[in-house]
Amino acid sequence: MQPSFMPAAIAAGVTFILGASVMGIRLQPAGISLEVTSAPTHVYLGLIAASLFVFILQYFRLTERFSRLLKSSQESKVELPAFLRTQQQQRLWTMLAIGALLLFPVIGSRGWIDLATLTLIYVMLGLGLNIVVGLAGLLDLGYVGFYAVGAYAYALLNTYFGFGFWEALPIAGALAALFGFLLGFPVLRLRGDYLAIVTLGFGEIIRILLNNWTEITGGPNGISQIPKPTLFGLEFNRRAAEDALGTFHEFFGIKYSPEYKVIFLYLLALILVLITVYVIRRLIRMPIGRAWEALREDEIACRSLGLNPTMIKLSAFTLGASFAGFAGAFFAARQGFINPESFTFIESAIILAIVVLGGMGSQLGVILAAVAMTILPELAREFNEYRMLLFGLIMVLMMIWRPQGLLPMKRPHMELKRG
Amino acid sequence: MTESLLYFTQQVINGLTVGSTYALIAIGYTMVYGIIGMINFAHGEVYMIGTYLSFIVIAGLTMLGLENLPFILLTALIVSMMVAGAYGFTIERVAYRPVRGSKRLIALISAIGMSIFLQNYMRLAQGPRDIAMPGQIQGGWSWTLDGNLLNLSYMQVIIFVVTVISMWSLHLFISRSRMGRACRACAQDQGMTNLLGIDTNQIIAVTFVIGAALAAVAGFLLGLYYGVVNPMIGFIAGLKAFTAAVLGGIGSLPGAMLGGLILGVTESMTAAYFSTEYKDVVAFSLLVLILLFKPTGILGKPEVEKI
Amino acid sequence: MKTLLKKTLLGTSIALASLGMQVQAADTIKIAMAGPVSGPVAQYGDMQFIGAQMAIEQINAQGGVNGKQLEGVIYDDACEPKQAVQVANKIVNDGIKFVVGHLCSSSTQPASDIYEDEGILMITAASTSPDITNRGYELIFRTIGLDDRQGPVAGRYIVEQIKPKRVAVIHDKQQYGEGIARAVKATVEEAGISVVMFEGVTAGDKDFSALIAKMQKEDVDFVYYGGYHPELGSILRQSKELGFNAGFMGPEGVGNPDISAIAGEASEGLLVTLPPSFDLDPKNAQLVEAFKAKGQDPSGPFVMPAYTAVELMVQGMKGTEGTDPLDVADYLRNQGPFETPIGTVEYDAKGDLKEFNFVVYTWHADGTKTPAATQEAAN
Repeated sequence: MQPSFMPAAIAAGVTFILGASVMGIRLQPAGISLEVTSAPTHVYLGLIAASLFVFILQYFRLTERFSRLLKSSQESKVELPAFLRTQQQQRLWTMLAIGALLLFPVIGSRGWIDLATLTLIYVMLGLGLNIVVGLAGLLDLGYVGFYAVGAYAYALLNTYFGFGFWEALPIAGALAALFGFLLGFPVLRLRGDYLAIVTLGFGEIIRILLNNWTEITGGPNGISQIPKPTLFGLEFNRRAAEDALGTFHEFFGIKYSPEYKVIFLYLLALILVLITVYVIRRLIRMPIGRAWEALREDEIACRSLGLNPTMIKLSAFTLGASFAGFAGAFFAARQGFINPESFTFIESAIILAIVVLGGMGSQLGVILAAVAMTILPELAREFNEYRMLLFGLIMVLMMIWRPQGLLPMKRPHMELKRG
Repeated sequence: MTESLLYFTQQVINGLTVGSTYALIAIGYTMVYGIIGMINFAHGEVYMIGTYLSFIVIAGLTMLGLENLPFILLTALIVSMMVAGAYGFTIERVAYRPVRGSKRLIALISAIGMSIFLQNYMRLAQGPRDIAMPGQIQGGWSWTLDGNLLNLSYMQVIIFVVTVISMWSLHLFISRSRMGRACRACAQDQGMTNLLGIDTNQIIAVTFVIGAALAAVAGFLLGLYYGVVNPMIGFIAGLKAFTAAVLGGIGSLPGAMLGGLILGVTESMTAAYFSTEYKDVVAFSLLVLILLFKPTGILGKPEVEKI
Repeated sequence: MKTLLKKTLLGTSIALASLGMQVQAADTIKIAMAGPVSGPVAQYGDMQFIGAQMAIEQINAQGGVNGKQLEGVIYDDACEPKQAVQVANKIVNDGIKFVVGHLCSSSTQPASDIYEDEGILMITAASTSPDITNRGYELIFRTIGLDDRQGPVAGRYIVEQIKPKRVAVIHDKQQYGEGIARAVKATVEEAGISVVMFEGVTAGDKDFSALIAKMQKEDVDFVYYGGYHPELGSILRQSKELGFNAGFMGPEGVGNPDISAIAGEASEGLLVTLPPSFDLDPKNAQLVEAFKAKGQDPSGPFVMPAYTAVELMVQGMKGTEGTDPLDVADYLRNQGPFETPIGTVEYDAKGDLKEFNFVVYTWHADGTKTPAATQEAAN
């Protein structure tokens, strides 16, 4: 393949025009009229550099070479490292990882523990959405709606009926599942891309209703003073509420420290995530899990094998929603305050980006992706500005180069030797 | 004319204007869908970019001291159509062509990624705040009937007329021109079209360029009408336009127009007789209901001409 | 193995403890400045940061507090509630006892739970939601007025000066806008003026023709809008085009020159309630100069309140000759009044300013404002 000059030059030119037209010239309100100013020189230098980069990329057809390279690497099997080959070894390492996570609060500082708690919420959401998107192949763009249902379920049950976290948690999950069931029932016979848009619409409807229903949900003011979870009735506050059993530090006769509350929340999140991982792991190996994947791969084949696609999809949708409900209730408890702002489409997009990056279907991949997505902005705050930009870019690039994700799921399988 | 009937008429006029703006954006959706069967989720963002581009040109030319308003507006329209067309071309080349042929889901996720990317790209390039532009074309007609006022602004009429014209010329392009025939062939069967010696890649690229240019027309007109732009306007406008396209039957040009108008009037009626707060809820519910009971939309019968 | 683990744990905890001691023993008093550095409202965050930073610099230049220098640390919450909680935990973690912030009410609310719990003094220079100080907290203060006080000011002006017959109250379905709108509605209705419409619009919406036609039909002669300038700008512009000629009024969220750019001629005569422009107060001339010398704009609504927040903390530390947040909070609540750039301030039991005046201005089409005419002045 010989280098080609003209297409490359055109590509570079287009890049420059596209960039310069919106980045090179800035709209600047001046009093009541509008003016344009030229961007600083470094923006132009950056644009020229970008154009040159595109030129080189096109001239030597690097993108094609790169994707071919990726394609060939995909075909060659990715072997697990030596220490993870056998089941015992895997079990051992899992145990070690869990142990390390349990011990983390001892060494981690409060800020990091709290960040880890937030990460765990995203892990839970990612795992839940992974059932729907990754395993069953249904694109759900309104997942945040179920998250909101869970959060509001706990907040409202607490405000109006005085439910504690532990009583509300199963109800929140069940309610979210019920919503998933009711919404999923009519829409799941739709084709994939229509389904995506309809779920997006549902997510928005749920948020707008929560925002408009001021009498019950507090509307945009949200609900505040949602209590933290208790340990068998023991509170983690400095002073116990009147009807409570007592406080944690009094019961154990230790000095009060607000750290306990943060650590307890972290451990709780960890346990919820472990349960989620365990349940989903089991589900994947059950007939229902296999049916999800079979359906994702070939719906017609599934039908001819006598599987009921609607029921299978509905089960994935409902289960996925219930995990969002649990995560939502926990989120409300961690925040102590929720309002509809926390449940916008952007949140759905972030969770989707986690699932996509992690490799659709792979649990380990989703966990690692959630960790990367929440910790990265923390390590470099400047990155925060570019976070959503990169999320978008990652989604595109992953779909082009590695639609199966960084760590695609592997099924135990046998292959016949060819030739 | 009684007062309540007049009020109803006024609200219908308002609804039709809003509806034609939806229709204008919806043409791009429906065209791309008709030819390659994918939802171009980033279409709304191209509309947003088109608005920014026309603001930049108008503000720039005004600063240069030009006073000939029609000239300024025409230049802004042409420039924003061209640059937006280039954006459309690039988006297709970068995000859609590599995933063409894989599953629908993969193309859609790529499109969503593109949409998020463009939104934040504009946010970084031009800042997150609302940019306002003084009105260029103001005023309108009003009639007094039995002491009640009925209004129609110039911009409302312009938007309606431009929507009809672009739809009609697109229709002519698709049905009469050689390229249009190739587009239709492409919509029928890409593989076969390729075998007949038509470069489908080129046809699809042209489709995206035209779709993006139409989005820029919408961006230009609505920018003039509302006078405000921010990087977030594309998302909700795209969603509404998509609803309109689906409502009318995605893939059908008259359907996009009809769907847009119905959606606009429905919203307007909700605001008029119920409450503005529930406008969006009603719009999205309409989308859900249409998809549930008539996924092909109002005019989306299989025998209807697909572009 | 066990002893080894114990030893390691012990070692780490000692290391951590000594780290904590270091923060305590250092010769600076850290003040956290929490608000949006990134995200869509970062420009408002900037106002808060430059105000607080200026106060810290000036106080340090005068020798600091009780022989110690102040040090400002910026924390970014992007105005997202979930990040605000994270920031609050980090501030606790970093051993900081004084916080200026947060900006958005929905961030301030969950974060203040943590501060109250951890014994950290927080003064917000921008959050106006009444809920923040309604919870009986001891350590939460603000240097800005409340939505439910701004509402009545606007409402009284409507009742006493405008005397409309049929009022429409519109809001943007957000915490800030709806809060003020409800307060205005209550005040106006108390005076016996009928509020014929109370409706929310969607923030970010562009087309209000249906709403305007509805107001025309209801013969509304005065409109109060609770929310921000982009929506009200569009409403004004479209009202003019559709021949709807009622009077309009809005809170400080609409008082931005951009509204005239959107609405053009239609913004002439719009009434706006604003906090007094502290940067025009002759007493602050020196301070304004200091901002201008640094190339900063002192006219933002949160600049002076943020300056005041730091100033009050320092006065409290000086007054109690220590840095215990509880003592400082007590001092602020009971020992007033204090002289600050936003005037003489005194606190009530909840931690709100006893007085924070809002002034009614008339907005002009060129983006400027003048104090609104009152009938007393006309007489």
